[in-house]
Amino acid sequence: MKERKKIFILLLILATGISWMGINNKYGKPKPVPFIVPKGWPQPVYDFSKNPLTEEGIALGRKLFYDGRLSKDGNFSCGACHQQFGAFDSYDHSLSHGYNNSLTTRNAPGLFNLAWQKEFMWDGGINHLDLQPLAPITNENEMAETIENVIAKLNADQEYRQMFKAAFGDELINTQRMGKAISQFELQLVSSNSKYDKVMRGEAAFILPEQLGYDIFKKKCVSCHAEPLFTDFSYRNTGLPVDKALNDPGRMKITGKAEDSLKFKVPSLRNVGMTFPYGHDGRFFSLMSVFEHYRKNMVVGPVTDTLLRNKLALSNFEIGQLTAFLHTLTDTAFLKDPRFAQPGYEILSKPPADIHQ
Amino acid sequence: MKKSIALTCMPTILIMMGLLLTPQTGSSQKKLSLSFHHRVGNETLVLDNSYTNILGENIVVRKFKYYLSNFSITDQSGNNHFLPVDYFLVDEADSASKNISLNVPTLEIKSINFLLGVDSIRNVSGIQTGALDPLLGMFWTWNSGYIMAKLEGTSDSSHIAGQAFTYHIGGFKGETNTNRYITLTLPQKNKPQNNIHITTDINHWFKSKSEIRIAQTPVCHTPGALAVKIADNYSTMFSVNADQ
Repeated sequence: MKERKKIFILLLILATGISWMGINNKYGKPKPVPFIVPKGWPQPVYDFSKNPLTEEGIALGRKLFYDGRLSKDGNFSCGACHQQFGAFDSYDHSLSHGYNNSLTTRNAPGLFNLAWQKEFMWDGGINHLDLQPLAPITNENEMAETIENVIAKLNADQEYRQMFKAAFGDELINTQRMGKAISQFELQLVSSNSKYDKVMRGEAAFILPEQLGYDIFKKKCVSCHAEPLFTDFSYRNTGLPVDKALNDPGRMKITGKAEDSLKFKVPSLRNVGMTFPYGHDGRFFSLMSVFEHYRKNMVVGPVTDTLLRNKLALSNFEIGQLTAFLHTLTDTAFLKDPRFAQPGYEILSKPPADIHQ
Repeated sequence: MKKSIALTCMPTILIMMGLLLTPQTGSSQKKLSLSFHHRVGNETLVLDNSYTNILGENIVVRKFKYYLSNFSITDQSGNNHFLPVDYFLVDEADSASKNISLNVPTLEIKSINFLLGVDSIRNVSGIQTGALDPLLGMFWTWNSGYIMAKLEGTSDSSHIAGQAFTYHIGGFKGETNTNRYITLTLPQKNKPQNNIHITTDINHWFKSKSEIRIAQTPVCHTPGALAVKIADNYSTMFSVNADQ
């Protein structure tokens, strides 16, 4: 009997201890942030269970996104080429500027709705959002830094050590945590409040040209630029002749297959009014030049998309209406959302007067 | 009252018992260490020294690294015992990395089996840590996937800049898969099997199932047919030292 009592008391102490530890752990735990899927949208493909969103994780990711120290000379943050006022593309730049007066070889795409994207880059070479930042960080003509150096720089900064602790529970800074934090910020970049979205939700109405444009869009564009994300994430050859200086094989670079020659990912048309220039190398400086390509300038080859074998017939009238519709995809709330701006620069989220400073 | 306390404590007790018992479940374990000895033919590999490879081309090796993972052992009755999945980067420049310590069941081991490379799951699951941290330079950031094995150096036969040869072998999808399952049968001498010495012969990169001449093929940096050919070649590079 005495033995049993002893065991009992011991167990009680144990249980109390464990519950105390449980309560104690609640303090200083990162605050969860729900990911809201816009009504009518498909479920995201990003696995949030492996990287639960938290306020602290998002704040850390935002700081990393805008920190030039991720580059070799401190000049090139992620945000340097992914500017909010251009829906996080390189505003008004065909190619982006990189370390030591270099240029990239492709047009920086806008960053939004990344939770729905399985593969990244124009050629789909990167298979996970967390991995994506490692490519520009290490690329000689982008940020030109080594991951090792970036981790060392972050480790040397007490503020980062504290922020990593707040986001992940301890001060360990490694590649995985850096990638996860940047993903947490980037996953917040959901663009779902354009006029088009409001019309779909019954909160607004298209004016006539917009409606006519939408009807034409649904006939001639939607099979690749599928709603609601305005891309089907496929890779297609749209008859773009190769640029001899860039010599970019597109998707073939990743798969090694001839049938993937000059195929590039179908870009989303959301915020298309702000993401000029267009095309994987930014060769089209206006929507008009894109339309001219599809109706006239395409070079139809053996692997050109079957939907475009006869090019894309578009009248001047149709181009006008389509343009009106495409501008309804501009999400000004997203472009000016202070949560996405560089910390401390929340009100500057509009194009500077001179884009070359 | 007492009963209800007992009931409340029950999950705690079960969890604690579980925690205490987990490591001891199953058969008993022993330590098995694998020591890798890098060679060019009969000569011990020393980085930056000059050698003549099996095809008569001279080589100076600057980097030699490869991933090993998914170890299992086969006992004398032919049963396979999978060890907890772990990843090791063996690097000639890091002598500690050439000794791998494994916890294996206390059994007479017939053969050791492992994957030379990194299984596809780890290639598609975002950023990994430890031996798989991309900062170790064994990960392609532009075409996601691990470099399973890397051999870099210079050779008079090379016609590219710096007379370099660089073989970064990777690819995990379908036909371009460069992961290779390796089985090493241990010599049966009734000796205690605690430390297995394994020779890794670089010559097999150049000549095994096919011939890779630096003069013709100084570079392999992408998944594809060439990478597969080189992986087939180096898949025979391991042998267990007979006189251990």
